[in-house]
Amino acid sequence: MFELTRYDGRRRVRGSIALSGGLSALAAMVIWVYPSFEAEVDLDQLLAAYPDPILQVMGVQTMTSLGGFLSFELYTFGWVIMLGLYLAYSTAGTIADDVDRGRMDVLLSMPLSRRRLIAERFAAMAVPIAGANLLPPVVVVVGARLIDHPLAVADVLAVHLLSIPYLFACAGIGLLASVVFDRAAIAQRVALGVTFVLFLSESLLTGTDAETIGAIAPMRYYDPNAVLLEGRYDLAGAGILVAMTLAFLVASQLWFGRTDIR
Amino acid sequence: MAAIELEGLTKDYGEVRANDGITFAVERGEVFGYLGPNGAGKTTTIRTVLGLLSPTAGTVRLLGRDVTDEAQLLEAKRRLGYLPDDPAFDETATGREILDLHASLKGDERSAALLELFDPPLDREIREYSRGNVQKLGLVTTFMHDPDLVILDEPTSGLDPLLQQRFNEFVRAEREAGLTVFFSSHILSEVRKLCDRVGIIRDGRLVTVEPVESLLNRSGKFVRLHADEPIPIRSLEVDGVHGLESNGGAGPGDGTEYVFTFTGDINALLAAIREYRLVDLSIEEAPLEDVFMRFYGGNATDAPTATEQTTAGTDRGGSGDV
Repeated sequence: MFELTRYDGRRRVRGSIALSGGLSALAAMVIWVYPSFEAEVDLDQLLAAYPDPILQVMGVQTMTSLGGFLSFELYTFGWVIMLGLYLAYSTAGTIADDVDRGRMDVLLSMPLSRRRLIAERFAAMAVPIAGANLLPPVVVVVGARLIDHPLAVADVLAVHLLSIPYLFACAGIGLLASVVFDRAAIAQRVALGVTFVLFLSESLLTGTDAETIGAIAPMRYYDPNAVLLEGRYDLAGAGILVAMTLAFLVASQLWFGRTDIR
Repeated sequence: MAAIELEGLTKDYGEVRANDGITFAVERGEVFGYLGPNGAGKTTTIRTVLGLLSPTAGTVRLLGRDVTDEAQLLEAKRRLGYLPDDPAFDETATGREILDLHASLKGDERSAALLELFDPPLDREIREYSRGNVQKLGLVTTFMHDPDLVILDEPTSGLDPLLQQRFNEFVRAEREAGLTVFFSSHILSEVRKLCDRVGIIRDGRLVTVEPVESLLNRSGKFVRLHADEPIPIRSLEVDGVHGLESNGGAGPGDGTEYVFTFTGDINALLAAIREYRLVDLSIEEAPLEDVFMRFYGGNATDAPTATEQTTAGTDRGGSGDV
């Protein structure tokens, strides 16, 4: 078991290290600019200058604490949007690209069921997901100390740990796109589009009559603000994300199990 | 129990019926050639046998297992090697990484010996591989777990002549060791060197299944003859000459260049033209398309069944020009 996961995982290590490094740089930069931001800009006034929808989309609640600042500058932007889209996109490339380029024939000629192939390829996405969350929390905790705005270590860890089921759910969207469309480019575009629309539907519809529509969006169940500002960890939300991920996985397996490999 | 059993296999893509009621069996220990022009439906049959496509109708059994049942298919795949017509591996992986993955999933009994025969550059990434190197790596992955049955889709495409020969010798030795081989080709000469029996497919239908000798006897040679002086037509009326054509002039015999298909005794032909001074003479394997045109007409649906075609090498004049 997990031979394919090990193989895929190894092949994703280098990219994941780069991802971790890039996100750490982003984290360091956001923390580095915060003191001058705080000192020289009237943050409440700045906040008031933004139109409400923008604040809502970006998940801005406050800029007057490092936690609030990081929550949207780093976590909403870097994790919820960028990483979420990246994982949907990247996962969408897995199965569809194998089919597209004719590698699937060789893979499936081995004693490997279609269900297992899907599950193993998907499991390998744990490498970039974990990788992205390895170095940045260290940078955030240490950086916050260095600028004299220390953050609770538990909160920083929680905001990263809780992002893991969120990112898997985004990868699940990509996986489903990857089995439904057998052209990688199309699967990736669809995955990006769907993930982004879900993000917008969740962030824009909150507080409106159509709020319930956002219930299908993974973004609803991962809230960096709640963790960093209130120290509130949404474990039920994490559970829903795990269930979503499994639903995407099973749906992908069922679809792929009965489709013709063209 | 046959290695591969097809019973009324039909695969309908909606707009095309790629396989139409195909029935035949590949016996254990034989080398079976699946022959047909490009686009005839060979790859569709193979990919259905492997469970990559599900049949519209009919049944497929691979090593005695029903391929539409995934648990059974998995059993069969443990003892199967498969080389697609255009094998593809991860572009950014090295050959060695690919071999390691295959070894971990299906075992490795003999990759070391295979690598001496077919030696792809293992430490290079696949994207740097030539078509021939990909094919060599594919051959190693196909045979490395010592399967009971191998399915090869156009296996020698991409191999240079030296390697083709090495491949042929290898397959013959494997056959001696009891391996069953099912391979497709659109090249008759490739099939004749290796196969015990041949199945011919055209436009999605199986035209015939027969021992390779009887097919070869009937397929004939393509002869091109260039003489110094015109040769009288009578001299070329040898048993087994079909569709005689000459260049220029009003008809056969007036020109100096002659082409025809020949199914008779080659010595009789040479004896008949011995007294004429030749500029050039070529005798080639008849192109597969010509074999179809000659014996099955322009349309495979008109084809006689295998049992009706019993005699070989007799005159089948009147079947049309080449």
